Amino acid sequence: MKKLYISSLFAVMMLFATSCGEEFLDLTPQQSIVNEDFLLTYSDFEAAIVGAYDQMQLADWYGRYLPLVADVMGEDVKQNSSANRASEWAEYRGYADHFIPEEFWAEIYEEINIVNSIINSDFEAPEAIATDFNQILGEAYAIRALAYFDLVRIFSQHYTYTADASHPGVPIVLEFDLQSRPARSTVAEVYAQVISDFEQAISLMSITPSTSGTFSEAAAQALLSRVYLYMEDYDMAESYATQVISSGDYSLVPAESYATQFLDGNSSESIFEIVYTTVDNPGSDHLGGMYKATGYGDYLPSEDLLALMDENDIRSTLFLEDENLGGIYGNIRVNKYPSSGSALGTDNIPVIRLSEVYLNRAEARAKSGDDTGAQEDLNTIRQRANSAAATVTATGDALITEILNERRVELCFEGHRLFDLTRNKLDMVRNDCTSSVCEVDYPNDRFIFAIPNAEINVNANMTQNDGY
Amino acid sequence: MRKRLLFIFFYLCAVTGLAMGQERTVTGTVVSTEDGSTLPGVNVLIKGTSTGTITDIDGNYRITVPGNDAVLQFSYVGFSTKEVTVGAQSTVDIDLGPDYTEISEVVVVGYSSKRKEELTGAIEVVGSDKLEQLPASSFQTALQGSVAGMQVTSTDGAPGAGISIRVRGVGSINASNDPLYVIDGIPVSSGSISQTDFGNGGTSSNVLASINPNDIQNITVLKDAASTAIYGSRGANGVVLITTKSGAAGKAKIDLKAQVGFSDIAYNNLLQGLNGEQYTELFHEGNINRGYTLEESQAEFDTYYPDPASTVWLDEMTQTGITQQYDLSATGGSDKVTYFLSGGYYDQEGITKENKFERFSSRANIKANLSDKLTVSNNINITHFKQRGITDGTAWEAPYYLAYLLPPTIPLKDEQGRYYGDHTNIMGGNNPVGQLYDNTRELQQTRLIDNLAATYDIMEGLTFSSKWSFDILNIDEFIFENGRYGDQRNNGGWGNEARTDEINWIGTQTLQYSKTFNENHNFDALIGYEAQKVLRDVVETAAENYPHPDLETLASASIPTLASSSRSEYAFNSYFTTLNYDYAGKYYASVSFRRDGSSRFGPDKRWGTFWSVGGGYTISEEAFMDNVSWVDNLKLRASYGVTGNANIGNYSWAGLYSFDRAYQDSPGAAPGQVANPLLTWESQENFNVGLDFALLKSRLSGNIEYFIRESTDLILDRPLSNTTGFRDLTENVGDMRNSGVEIALNANLVQTPNFTLDLGGNITFLSNEITYLPESFVDGQFNRAEGRDYQEYYLYGWAGVNPDDGAPLFYTDETKTETTSSINEAVRFYDGKSASPDYYGGITLNAGYKGFSLNLFFNYQMGHYVYDGPGWVIHSDGRYFPRSTSLFAYENRWQQPGDEALFPKYVAGNTSGSNTQNSTRYLYKGDYIRLKTINLGYDFPASITSKLKVRSLKVYTNLNNYFTWVADDYLPFDPEVAANGYYSTTTPNTKSVNFGVNIGL
Repeated sequence: MKKLYISSLFAVMMLFATSCGEEFLDLTPQQSIVNEDFLLTYSDFEAAIVGAYDQMQLADWYGRYLPLVADVMGEDVKQNSSANRASEWAEYRGYADHFIPEEFWAEIYEEINIVNSIINSDFEAPEAIATDFNQILGEAYAIRALAYFDLVRIFSQHYTYTADASHPGVPIVLEFDLQSRPARSTVAEVYAQVISDFEQAISLMSITPSTSGTFSEAAAQALLSRVYLYMEDYDMAESYATQVISSGDYSLVPAESYATQFLDGNSSESIFEIVYTTVDNPGSDHLGGMYKATGYGDYLPSEDLLALMDENDIRSTLFLEDENLGGIYGNIRVNKYPSSGSALGTDNIPVIRLSEVYLNRAEARAKSGDDTGAQEDLNTIRQRANSAAATVTATGDALITEILNERRVELCFEGHRLFDLTRNKLDMVRNDCTSSVCEVDYPNDRFIFAIPNAEINVNANMTQNDGY
Repeated sequence: MRKRLLFIFFYLCAVTGLAMGQERTVTGTVVSTEDGSTLPGVNVLIKGTSTGTITDIDGNYRITVPGNDAVLQFSYVGFSTKEVTVGAQSTVDIDLGPDYTEISEVVVVGYSSKRKEELTGAIEVVGSDKLEQLPASSFQTALQGSVAGMQVTSTDGAPGAGISIRVRGVGSINASNDPLYVIDGIPVSSGSISQTDFGNGGTSSNVLASINPNDIQNITVLKDAASTAIYGSRGANGVVLITTKSGAAGKAKIDLKAQVGFSDIAYNNLLQGLNGEQYTELFHEGNINRGYTLEESQAEFDTYYPDPASTVWLDEMTQTGITQQYDLSATGGSDKVTYFLSGGYYDQEGITKENKFERFSSRANIKANLSDKLTVSNNINITHFKQRGITDGTAWEAPYYLAYLLPPTIPLKDEQGRYYGDHTNIMGGNNPVGQLYDNTRELQQTRLIDNLAATYDIMEGLTFSSKWSFDILNIDEFIFENGRYGDQRNNGGWGNEARTDEINWIGTQTLQYSKTFNENHNFDALIGYEAQKVLRDVVETAAENYPHPDLETLASASIPTLASSSRSEYAFNSYFTTLNYDYAGKYYASVSFRRDGSSRFGPDKRWGTFWSVGGGYTISEEAFMDNVSWVDNLKLRASYGVTGNANIGNYSWAGLYSFDRAYQDSPGAAPGQVANPLLTWESQENFNVGLDFALLKSRLSGNIEYFIRESTDLILDRPLSNTTGFRDLTENVGDMRNSGVEIALNANLVQTPNFTLDLGGNITFLSNEITYLPESFVDGQFNRAEGRDYQEYYLYGWAGVNPDDGAPLFYTDETKTETTSSINEAVRFYDGKSASPDYYGGITLNAGYKGFSLNLFFNYQMGHYVYDGPGWVIHSDGRYFPRSTSLFAYENRWQQPGDEALFPKYVAGNTSGSNTQNSTRYLYKGDYIRLKTINLGYDFPASITSKLKVRSLKVYTNLNNYFTWVADDYLPFDPEVAANGYYSTTTPNTKSVNFGVNIGL
């Protein structure tokens, strides 16, 4: 009997001897870090700001669709026969369930949360690294400003659509709140936030970055010149443009290296651009892939655009002949982003270049009556591209039209045309048209995106744009 | 030698007989009433003594009896016991009939086994006859239609592809719906754990394909809480218990099985592509319909197709598949050691060219009784398989997608005899036939499953058992895409190699005690502890720019693009107990309880408790039933309990920063997941009531079950306002109910010595309802909303084609009173159509005539609808011009006013919105009946086998999937579609004809 007890005891011991403690179940992730353990040291912030720039690379933002949609909704780009991606927007028949507004909205608000977590952290930088930390903080503010600017210009009618910009903008979120269901602020409020964030960024940033791939004080100033131009505040637009131009930190690239500035990146006129490397490896999913035969080749340059350039214009070399095209599609393809082979998709995508700052100032000057100053700036851009180009003599409205046409030639395929049309209250007219829609009159509900249904469905305070 | 032994045996008997004086010898032969065959191994016992013998191989026995009063008792497993008083006879021949009343089948259940009559839960067993020489890579195929309540779908006909199994409906939305697989007592990894799955979503590889179906003794499916609650947080989707073969003491038996088969596409009505002439006609028609002149259209045609051809891609990519398999096993042993050893080889060439699966497997199941108290066993299985697959779905390399979309005017090969790839402006220059040869998608899996167990009988009725198991998996995947044409043409080719190592160890300790008090009170109790840890390591690399098309390994590529490794792990810690009681084999009660801790949940919600109670009442054992002679068995069962589903990703509860970011080649981080420390497992309340019956001398038997599965705390990604920076939060919100009735019947229609005929079948009626969901959400073709069937479609209503102008028509809303040609004026609505079948099941017919056996097996599924996922691209009415379309679209398109057409006007670059996704245009009635198997076999009689000096010899042929009936004549794809009703251009299912021979030595 004793033996039996011993055996039983042994069995029970065996049963629980292998029993493990609670730590057996306490496993930590190997590819992630729990929130509580992050943003505690300066190096965490270095990683966090890189995460924020990475977000801007996404196809739904600068990587493809923001610049693409703004161009395909204009008259300078026409659809190829197989055009598929974004064609709903090119044909002005987009809808609230469409993935582009859906992804664009979600990805940019994700970015806002990323930079909010940097801006709102309790971290207090030691004196020795205060400058570095403030630079990161400033970049976070600048990214937030750009995020709101991009949101408001595509989901809302332009600033002067109503006299006091009181029409619906987008929700302003400055702090993380899981349960929030924010309503739309007015366009005026969103622009005020954009300006305040850029100003905050300017006050914090003091380091000149080694490449134009990250934000700098000048990038914030340059973008403010565009923001004020959109607001029709021409004094401020001119003032910020002048600050950048006269800083002397940037210079227009000479005509001979014009064509490769996006491929090579970090040119002397690049103020802020999104950098792509083989590590990012976007391949034919890059914005350039939408235009190139080596990519999806969905979109082609229109004759409306090509007619604006004469053959001596260096910008007319940013195109290729393609014998596989024919008929109404012509035989020309866009080659502004010429990367190829294993480097395919590694062209940097410009956010703002010095040439735009000149054109911003030219337009601001022309619209505030300084025709001479405007002509000067326009000449700078035009004659850089074509040394043989005649000096500008137009004045008044004719001058403004020339400046806007120069923007089309200089900034084509960089995502400007839609915004330049609407803020100037112009009709969109496609003469060389392969689309089912060849003319859209201003004003039009369809010049802007629908608020995604994904947001409307969960946020009772959200209102849809008219016309959707 | 054998003769000599027999002689000695008889000699000894005779000597003993002589020594006993008045005793005398009785001889006889025992045969079966079923077919008159002799029965070897029958126990012959003189009643009231321990004296006995067994019949020899020819059913003969010889026994010495003390006198005329002696009573001989003949007993044999599975047959009724007979008693005969010897009297004056010296020869007593006996026929034994199968035992229908005494079902003493032993059924493996969680952590123990029970006699079938003891069960209080809903359990079904599938025997090895269904599994041997299965012409498929995984045993899961054999479960199709065999088990009431189980919905098994094979959605991918590629060799080695995965099988989807749902037990009693879909009980979870976001967590897995796959049952738990347990091999010889050990939970093992299932599904796909590959990194790329050939570029598919986890449907094309299957870690369970490592199990050789020939090694399986039987499969037990646990369906209700009484049987699954012992698996706690992993029991909610049902449990599939696989028991592998074990040896039996006795002479070694060697079995050799060989089979060869030929396969083709099973579904006769599969969508076909166009030929060059048809495509050219459509090309010009599409262009003219958009306002081109014929000359303009011809000019465009010439730029696209400098050398127009007529390539029917589907015909070029398919072939007759060949499957061959060989299996050699040996079983036997002594009273101390028993063994089962096997080696198997399975090789399948698919119906798609260069699509293959090849498996080598071996198993050794050895059991040794070290003493009368201590038994040890070790089951070890090593398998290696190699699979060469394809990309499915809507990838531009997917052959069964391009078969319709790639214009037939593109040549198969170029002037140099290479596969053509110059059509870079159409679908990226992909060539679905060339890529089968010039690209590589390979997966090799090596898996070792070892179960080491020791059992010690501490005292009578008290047993301690300790089991340790290792499931070690290694998967090596390799993808190469050539740099000459297709998606990698700009990168100079691309290679990707991934290695996944998974180590899963489990230790289970149990203490079991059984005792009978006062004759009739039988108790059985078990307590146990189990710990499990699963660690997975992944290394993945990729590179591009290859110097030569024949060099595929990454060493040859000049630009590395990916170097990555990751690691994840999870652990379970569990305590459990069961208690069973029965009174006199009449009343049964069972209780189970398990406490599970899982690393998958936060510290506050880590532990969960699961339990069940069950009862059984064998009515036929009651005295008042004694006179009801037509009832052999009648038993009522009921159970209730709570199980869980912890099958979600690791660390889902934690707020995390993810580090999968980089900018300017520096690493970055960003918030990746919202914290929810309250996240815990889904739980499921299960109610089951069942009735087992056997009537008319068991000529009619079966069971009926009614069940309710209430899933609560469903883990859902609740959509958030995207302004938070997150799209959703993983939460326990939502309840769902599955309820249904399962009926299984088996009728023994003819039972004569030479001819038998059995008809069996099962049917499951199932209904589903989301009972609580605070916010509805649209999910693909569905809108998940409270009060609705989880799988009820929510689509635009297609109203056909306007005969006047060929424009598409949609219903404006669910009233279906008004139609519109503009999709913007239409809304999506429910229309009472669901992806879940109303009922499904199987029908079996078995006939035997002398040595011949004929088996027919049908499987059916009714009342559901299936959605053509890629339909909006393949049938786009010219939207994706110049891509091609199907022959069906060509033949049924609108061409001129007055045409009552199925398909709208074909317009190049069509912008009519006719191909809008999520419309009922792409929805089909899914009802089907499929003749899964016709199996005709012949067992050679003893007269021949003895001449051939073999134990047994069987030849057979079987046809698989040879006949398919569908309700919808227009259904363009195989009716066996995933449980969610979604079809995505996968490899079509196959039909096959197989020939085989089994030899027993």
